[in-house]
Amino acid sequence: MITLSNIEKVYQTKTIETVALQNVNLTVPKGEFLSIMGPSGCGKSTLLNIMGLLDIPSSGIVTIDGQPIETYKDKELAHIRNQKIGFVFQSYHLVNDLSVMDNVELPLLYRSSISGSERTKRAKAALEKVGLSARTQHYPNQLSGGQRQRVAIARALVGQPEIILADEPTGNLDSVMGEEVMNILLDLNRLDGTTIVMVTHDENMALKTERLVRFFDGQQVSDSKLIANFQQV
Amino acid sequence: MIRHLFKLIWNRKKSNFLLITEIFFCFLVLFGVLSFIVYNVRNYTRPLGFKHENVWLLTMRPSTDSTAQNRQIVEQVIQRVRAFPEVDQASLISSNAPFSFSQMNNHFSYGDVKRIDSDVYEVQDEFKDVMQIQVNQGRWFGTSDDASHHEPVVINKALQRVLFGEEDALGKIIHVDDSTNFQVVGITDYYRAGSEFSAEDPAVFTRINLKKNPKYFANEMLIRVKPGTGIDFEEKMVKEISGIGKDWALEVATLEKMRQNKAKVTIIPMIALGLVCGFLILNVALGLFGVLWYNISRRNSEIGLRRALGAASGQIYRQFIGEVLVLATFGLIFGVLFAVQFPLLQVFQVDSEVYFIALAGAVVLIYLLTTFCALYPSRQAAAIHPAIALHED
Repeated sequence: MITLSNIEKVYQTKTIETVALQNVNLTVPKGEFLSIMGPSGCGKSTLLNIMGLLDIPSSGIVTIDGQPIETYKDKELAHIRNQKIGFVFQSYHLVNDLSVMDNVELPLLYRSSISGSERTKRAKAALEKVGLSARTQHYPNQLSGGQRQRVAIARALVGQPEIILADEPTGNLDSVMGEEVMNILLDLNRLDGTTIVMVTHDENMALKTERLVRFFDGQQVSDSKLIANFQQV
Repeated sequence: MIRHLFKLIWNRKKSNFLLITEIFFCFLVLFGVLSFIVYNVRNYTRPLGFKHENVWLLTMRPSTDSTAQNRQIVEQVIQRVRAFPEVDQASLISSNAPFSFSQMNNHFSYGDVKRIDSDVYEVQDEFKDVMQIQVNQGRWFGTSDDASHHEPVVINKALQRVLFGEEDALGKIIHVDDSTNFQVVGITDYYRAGSEFSAEDPAVFTRINLKKNPKYFANEMLIRVKPGTGIDFEEKMVKEISGIGKDWALEVATLEKMRQNKAKVTIIPMIALGLVCGFLILNVALGLFGVLWYNISRRNSEIGLRRALGAASGQIYRQFIGEVLVLATFGLIFGVLFAVQFPLLQVFQVDSEVYFIALAGAVVLIYLLTTFCALYPSRQAAAIHPAIALHED
C-alpha cells in the first residue's frame, strides 16, 4: 500500500519557484488499479516519480506498506524500488544494445541472491506472460511499439513487484496496440493482484481501471471509484 | 554483473571500436617502452664482474708506423707506469677496454657447437689485478702458461653456458674458426664491459704474451692507481711517458668518466622514450576521459532507467568503472595476443622474462589509466537524478 500525506513538490530555480504538487493526499490500497489523469504539466509524472521513490517531495510523507521512507538512504530506496516497484514508461526505456531477454533480466541483476539461470527462467516466464516468448533474442529496434511496451511490462513484472507504476504506457501506441497493453495490465491486476498506478491522457483507458484520480495545476481535483466499469474476474 | 558488462560492451563493439583500438595501441607503446626499461634495469642490477673505480685508461697514439719501434716504446712505458708508487698495477688491453665504444669479437666452436659469437679481450696477466676480476673456477693465466702447448683463455659463464652446456669447461680446447686452439683455464661469473646496461654476452680473455709475440702491439693500457690519486699524478705520468714516446699523443681517461659517458647512450633514449610515452599516455587519457564523459552524457536515460529498476548510485558508479575496465580488457586481449609473440618467437634475443614483466606492467598501467580516466565521469553518472534522467529521452 502506498500512502501520500500532504505532499508538496516545489521546483526552485534562482528566479522562479514552480509548484508541481500541492497538498496531495492519496492512498493506494494493495491490489487496486488506479489511473491518474490531468492536462500536461499538472504534476502527474512528478506524483508518479514520488510514488516510485525516484524523487523526494519538498514536504509531506510517503509511506510504502506503512513504512515512512523519508529517512531512507539512497541504497535503501533503491532496494525498495527493486523489490516492490515495477516501472512502465511511455517511451519504453529499453536498452537498445541488449536483447529482449537481457532487457527483461535487468531488474534481477540488482538482486545478488538470484543466480544467472534463475534470472533467465524468470525472464522467460515474464515474456511468456506478455506473449513475447518467441522474441527473446530480438533487439528492441527489431520490435514494433506495442511489442516494445510488452517487453517493458515483462521487465516491470519480472521481479514480481507488488506495485507497477505506469507512466502513459499506451501514449505512444495506436489504439489496437494500446488495447493489447492495457489488457495485459488489467490481467496483471486481476489475476496476480498487482497494485497498478497508471498515468494516462486516454479517458477510455482510464475508465477501464478501478479508480480515477484527476489532477489540475498540481492539485487533486477528483477521486472516483469506477467499479461499474471495472470488470472483476 | 560482470557477464552483463561484457555483453553490453560486446554488443556496443562498433561504437567502442575506436576506444578499444586506442587502448590497444597505447598498450603496445607501453609494452615496448617497458620492455626497453625492464631490459636495461635488469642488466643494471647485475654485477659488472670487475671494479672500475680508480682505474684509468691510457691511450697512446704513436707518431711513426714502425711496429718494432712502437713496441719497444710501449714496453718501456709499461715498465715506467708500473714503477710509479701511485700505481697498483697496469695491463695492456686491446682497443675494447671497459666502457669504450669499440668491440672485438670472434667465433668459437666446441664439439658440435659451432661458431658462437663472443667478445674477445686481449689482456696481460696483470689485467685480473687491475680490474679485480674474480675467477670462480680454475685460475687466471700467468707465466706458468708460457710453456703450454695451447693458448690459455679465461671465459665467462655466458660463453660456458652456450659452448659447453652442463659439461665442465676447464681444460677443454676451443677453436677459433678451426685455426687457433685455446685451452680454457678459468671461468669468471660475470664480465659486462660494454656498459652497466649491457647484457651478459659471451666473453673470452686471451693472453697478451709480449715475449712470445714480438710483433704484438697494443696502444691502450689500463692502470689501477691508489685511492685518492688525482690529476697531479696524471700530469706527472703523462709528462714522463711523453719523454719516452716522443711526439706520441697521449690521452688519459678514468673508467668512471667513461662509464658515465657510456651510460648516457642508454639513459638518454630511455628518458626520451619515457617522455614520448608519457605524452602519448596523457593524450590517450584526455581522449579517453572526453569520450567516456560524452558516452555517459548520452546514456542519461539508461542511467535513469537503471536507477528506477533498483540500482543505487554506488552501483551506477561501479557499473561505469566496470564498463571501462571491460573495454580495456578487450583492447588488452588483442594487445597481449600481439605482445606475447615477442617472447614466444624470441624476438631480439631478449630473455622472455623481460617481455613478461613488461607485459604485466603494461596491463596494470592500462587498467590504472582507464580506471583513473573513468573515475570522474562515473561519479557524474552516479550523481544523475533518476527522475530527470528518465525524462531526457
